[in-house]
Amino acid sequence: MTRIDRRTFIRQSIRTALATSAVGCLPALDLLALPALAADSPPLAVRKGKNVKQLVQETIGALGGIEQFVKSGEVVVVKPNIGWDRTVELAANTHPEVVTTLVELCLDAGAKQVRIFDRTCNDERRCYTQSGIRSAVEGLKSDRVSLEYMDRRAYKELAIKGGKAFDRWEFYMPVIEADRLINVPIAKHHSISKLTLGMKNLMGVIGGNRGRLHHQIAESLADIASVIHPDLTVIDATRILVANGPQGGRTEDVRNTETLIASPDMVAADAYATTLFGFKPEDVSTVVAAAQRGLGVMDLKKVRMV
Amino acid sequence: MKNSTWTYARKISQSFCLAVFLWLFLQTEYRGIDQLPYPVSLLFRIDPLAALADFLAPGPFGWQVLWPALLILLGTVLFGRFFCGWICPLGSTLDGLGKVIGRGRRAFSPGWRRVKYYLLIGMATATLFGVQLLGLFDPLAIFLRSLTLAVYPAYNYGLNRVFDFFYEHDVPLLSASAKNSYPFFRDNLMAFHQPIFSLGLFTLVIFLTILLLEKVEHRFWCKNLCPLGGLLGLCSRYAILQRTPQKLCADCKACDSLCRSGAVRSSGHMRSECLLCMDCTGFCPEERVRFGLRTGSDNYVSVDLQRRGVLTAMASGVMLAPVVRIGPVTHEQNPYLIRPPGAVAESEFLQRCVRCAECMKVCIGRTLQPALLQAGPVGLWTPLVVPRIGYCEYNCTLCGQVCPTGAIAPLKLPEKKKNVIGLAVIKKDRCLPFAKGVECLVCEEHCPTGEKAIVMEEKEVLINGEMRRLKFPKIIDKLCIGCGICETKCPVEGASAVRIINEGESRRKRSELLAGPYG
Repeated sequence: MTRIDRRTFIRQSIRTALATSAVGCLPALDLLALPALAADSPPLAVRKGKNVKQLVQETIGALGGIEQFVKSGEVVVVKPNIGWDRTVELAANTHPEVVTTLVELCLDAGAKQVRIFDRTCNDERRCYTQSGIRSAVEGLKSDRVSLEYMDRRAYKELAIKGGKAFDRWEFYMPVIEADRLINVPIAKHHSISKLTLGMKNLMGVIGGNRGRLHHQIAESLADIASVIHPDLTVIDATRILVANGPQGGRTEDVRNTETLIASPDMVAADAYATTLFGFKPEDVSTVVAAAQRGLGVMDLKKVRMV
Repeated sequence: MKNSTWTYARKISQSFCLAVFLWLFLQTEYRGIDQLPYPVSLLFRIDPLAALADFLAPGPFGWQVLWPALLILLGTVLFGRFFCGWICPLGSTLDGLGKVIGRGRRAFSPGWRRVKYYLLIGMATATLFGVQLLGLFDPLAIFLRSLTLAVYPAYNYGLNRVFDFFYEHDVPLLSASAKNSYPFFRDNLMAFHQPIFSLGLFTLVIFLTILLLEKVEHRFWCKNLCPLGGLLGLCSRYAILQRTPQKLCADCKACDSLCRSGAVRSSGHMRSECLLCMDCTGFCPEERVRFGLRTGSDNYVSVDLQRRGVLTAMASGVMLAPVVRIGPVTHEQNPYLIRPPGAVAESEFLQRCVRCAECMKVCIGRTLQPALLQAGPVGLWTPLVVPRIGYCEYNCTLCGQVCPTGAIAPLKLPEKKKNVIGLAVIKKDRCLPFAKGVECLVCEEHCPTGEKAIVMEEKEVLINGEMRRLKFPKIIDKLCIGCGICETKCPVEGASAVRIINEGESRRKRSELLAGPYG
């Protein structure tokens, strides 16, 4: 064995450290931030029904089944809206049964792991419990499913290629690294973006001072959507919040629309959801901004209803 | 030094009680159940000083909460200061850490013993006249306050940095086991959110000073300064538990140097000073020492309190009240003096709060912070709502559940949601739509009242010579409860553009809200 003296040791250590950090500096992660190209005529499924479980199964079935989106052995992130310390009937969070039915479908399709989380606005422990999602997920009794608190260490700043409001933002890496992302918002009123739907729901997987996004809400959300591409967006409109959103708190503001909207094209799903509130897709600036960037289709005539 | 069975029993009791208090401390946290399942503030329910503060405050005595404190007093009347030797967590900490710190054996002037009685008499008198400072020197409050505000946050910070290190650097074996054990630590042994407190260092320095006094003399604090020790000492005057021999034995006198509280004198036994540590039953070379029921003559030696000293202490207490009262009205001096929901009117609040920091420990939103001078000179360590650090969670009633003295009344959730702790006010020179002409609604979005207390109003405004429609936030005063989530979440960097002031709070006798056409 060759013996090295102290000087050589220090020199070699510094070299190794420099080489390692040089490799670490390579902007490999920036490659993730390429905008997805929208399909020409995306399928869109809309179903109505009182039985939530059946409703989810039918709607996903209309799109050709969950197997179109989730393959055996994949890691799936299901991202509901669990933002608020509110109970189910107040329509501030995604319906627990919508979440669990989707999770069951993923498990049946052979998903290796299904992870559920949201960066909440109220205390996450309260939101997870109060929304009913914690007990619903625990009720599945599957070790392949986990309702997780987001790990403060797992955010990373990524470059947003062609970003209009921001050129960098912090993203939650487990979402970027997962094989599949299923975006499960609830349709609600919102004072600035008019409505909060699929695109706004992605705010739950980013870090940083999220309040800053509201200064240019449409372009900001389009920036985020150019980095994160859900494989499937399922909009929970079993009940919707028509005023005092996005948090609600009064049953008077809730309408039971008993509808579910699903599409691999998030923009198309959002565009359709605007009609439940009596809007047109072009009334909602976030949908318009995303369509203009080619992130999806907002013209409901160009959508293939299934 | 030989230990007797009694000494072992005492040490087991100390360790057990300390463990129970630390376990209850860890349970003083929201873990998914709205109603805390354990009596987490037990330490103050058995605290005679807390009971004294509650007793002397206006309104009826809180029997339901504080009856265990009376049991402790009764026990002391019968047996002496067993609490100090067997239960008190600060005493146990001093006993446990004394060896680490190093112990002094300086013989202090016996006059120092009187200080704790004077402190007690002075503070009790002041409390009688409406200025309650018992909590500042209450050993149990000092213990829990130091734990809550300094030791536990530092412990969490340290552990988090260790876990972070193994998360960021891939160390073989260690990183994997750190990753696997993190959820267990987070859910059981650590705080869910890193605790943040403004007076951490200040509180720690005081705690360390008390610990370092061990270097001067073993249990210096308990012997000379502790007002709870003073109160229990006064109660133990007629205790039926008696040590034999009562005096120093002429042939040995080992007790004179070995007794940790110097309670054995050649004229008799100072029962009020004896901590019942039972060490003398072990170290007595002749194995003469026994504790038993009092029989025969009683050679009780009391601490000579001196009439002059007692009168001076009482006079100081009497003087304190008017001097404090001539200060300006604090809520007028400091509009940001906001108290937790359920807090009673400010003057009664100060009389009841024993600065135990239980409410700050349990607060989900981390909004409760210890006051330095914000609540006036006697408001030190009392809980303040500081919304830029955190907000009061709309559906949470934990602080009222843990308060042992009724300073924060336990409110049912529907009452709590209507309890006004302050009022949000928009600073138009900072608020983005007003000051910068850009859209923002973060305050409105987070406002938790069912019918929002912050609404967005669309107006036409002239921006750079061009008329534009823009939405502006507006506070509806009669709906705002002052929870402060708007101030916490305001995206403006630095000082928030919306701030909570204490106007219109429910606990004031008359609400001074002025109703106008703006709502």
